Amino acid sequence: MENVKLKIIKKKDVLNFLDSLKKEYNILVPMEKNGDIRFSKFNSGQDIPWDYRNTKISPKEIFFPQAETLFYFEAGASAPSNRSRVSIPINESKDSTSETNNEQRTTNYLIFGIRPCDAQAFSLLDKLFGGDDFQEPYYLKKRKQATIVSLACNKPQITCFCTSLKGKPDNEEGSDVILFDLEENILVKPITKRGEEFIENLNIWFKEAKKSDVEKKNKLMDLSLKKIRSGVNLKNIKEKLDEAFDISFWNEIHQKCLGCGICTYLCPTCHCFDITDEIDSGAGASPTPEGKRVRCWDSCMFPLFTLHASGHNPRPTYKERMRQRIMHKFNYCPENFKEIFCVGCGRCIRNCPVNIDLREMLISIDLS
Amino acid sequence: MNNPYLPMSVTIKKIIIENEARDIKTFDLGFNDKKDANKFKYTCGQFAEISILGVGEAPIGIASSPMDEDLVQFTVKKYPTGVVTSVLHNLCPGDIIGIRGPYGNGFPMKDFEGNNLLIIGGGFALTTLRSLTKYILHKKNRARFKDITVLYGARGPGELIYKSDLKQWDQREDINIHLTVDKGDENWKDLVGLVPNVLKELAPSSKDCISLVCGPFIMVKYTIPPLLDIGFSPERIFTSLEMRMKCGIGKCGRCNIGSKYVCKDGPVFTYKELQGLPNEY
Repeated sequence: MENVKLKIIKKKDVLNFLDSLKKEYNILVPMEKNGDIRFSKFNSGQDIPWDYRNTKISPKEIFFPQAETLFYFEAGASAPSNRSRVSIPINESKDSTSETNNEQRTTNYLIFGIRPCDAQAFSLLDKLFGGDDFQEPYYLKKRKQATIVSLACNKPQITCFCTSLKGKPDNEEGSDVILFDLEENILVKPITKRGEEFIENLNIWFKEAKKSDVEKKNKLMDLSLKKIRSGVNLKNIKEKLDEAFDISFWNEIHQKCLGCGICTYLCPTCHCFDITDEIDSGAGASPTPEGKRVRCWDSCMFPLFTLHASGHNPRPTYKERMRQRIMHKFNYCPENFKEIFCVGCGRCIRNCPVNIDLREMLISIDLS
Repeated sequence: MNNPYLPMSVTIKKIIIENEARDIKTFDLGFNDKKDANKFKYTCGQFAEISILGVGEAPIGIASSPMDEDLVQFTVKKYPTGVVTSVLHNLCPGDIIGIRGPYGNGFPMKDFEGNNLLIIGGGFALTTLRSLTKYILHKKNRARFKDITVLYGARGPGELIYKSDLKQWDQREDINIHLTVDKGDENWKDLVGLVPNVLKELAPSSKDCISLVCGPFIMVKYTIPPLLDIGFSPERIFTSLEMRMKCGIGKCGRCNIGSKYVCKDGPVFTYKELQGLPNEY
């Protein structure tokens, strides 16, 4: 593993390095906005928050935005009875990135400084949106053109439990390159072929790493790993849940849930969505109102998620919905994709307004 | 990459009002592009997303037979809270809408060959079973199937759909039709009673027979025990599930029951398969 050529870049050179790539890539970096860190378009001169813990909103939004236009259509008049309302689509997505600008547009993405757990989440979403039968073109199109450069965690949070899953502070799955923050310098380790080529092509920016750099990195990672204190034994979680659909555990666990859905919205692996139509009324300058079909995040925690037009709802209460969320991640996905759809990032724990702790839930299932 | 979300353009050719309450209509649709028509190859029991731009999409079972040429039919019940079905019911012949699909597994027609079939439908859920019946009765297919028995029930005589088909089938010698209503009227000469009860009385033989049950959930629930009593094994009882759906391609997550997605692993399941799923439909 360590025979990969490790490189070094000076931390103070990173901004210039990214600047030089602006034409070739849509560069997305963690950036502070209104007190939260979120992946945003790289601005020259704005420093990378190297010691950021993690973003509030998961970077899944880069490839799977909260709302994404699938296509546009001419909407005709607004009265429902008007026949011209029902017409055929006029074009596919004009531009599916949320930010529009006048700069030259490239379709390559460079995701720089993502945490390893979130990078791993991409490899899970790839399985879902890829798949053997149907391919999800909007996600895959962007995903396939992305180079993922992750940043190993020097300081895990108390809600981190990636080590209970497949993760660790320097987990490589889903990343093309992984970076280590050694204060003055950044240690660079290519992981995939794409990552190797990326580094090779930009060789002028890098120096060979010294033995002392590697030692420093190893020390940091050892310490970081030890800081992840919370854990759940998930070894046989799928098999346990196979037998757990009707246990009384579910009657209790949902009771303080408000059903706000924040756990699913912020989750890097939650992927359920809705498709709705939106029409711009055309009251302004445009003579023909424009309609668009939009795909947006949805949540299994919402009662409308499964409500039939007939009034029947297969998951009518918080109990069924909470169970669905747990089962989908820890039982159904392992069945379908051989993977637990959780990376242990802890967002659902940090942001739950009533302090529901996924780890505690999983431990309780383990005991019941 | 092929974009599965783009609907194909179709024109409403004809609309038939199926019932007295006038809330069930059959829409005959024709493709506006020959290429789409060739692409849209379906089997009995599959469904498609009916797509009205500016309104939304709704998954509806295909009511026509794969043997029908240049025609796709959907029978749609309008619900007051159903956004798409309400708009659809207000459209006229000549209007253009979209469909995308076909989706789902459909009935395993090849496996049914050489068997007797007991087809049990309730209310407007006869749609995909009508597709299947028409397919079997087609002269190119009929010889591959043995005896066909249809038991079809509705609340009242006015609520039976596909009346012209039922009449035609009744006049044929190679199919047995039993019609029943919860409550008859002065002209009603067929059976009276709920489908599960009528089934118990008819007690058709389960020998070399496959049963298919589609109807309101409550009907299906009470029809399965008498079928088991008659001697049908769980893997020879087929039904079709309904769930709320959006994408139709197993991504959006809402039709998920256990590890299955009704849109791509279903909607057709055997009772045996249902026994292996969480009771959440």
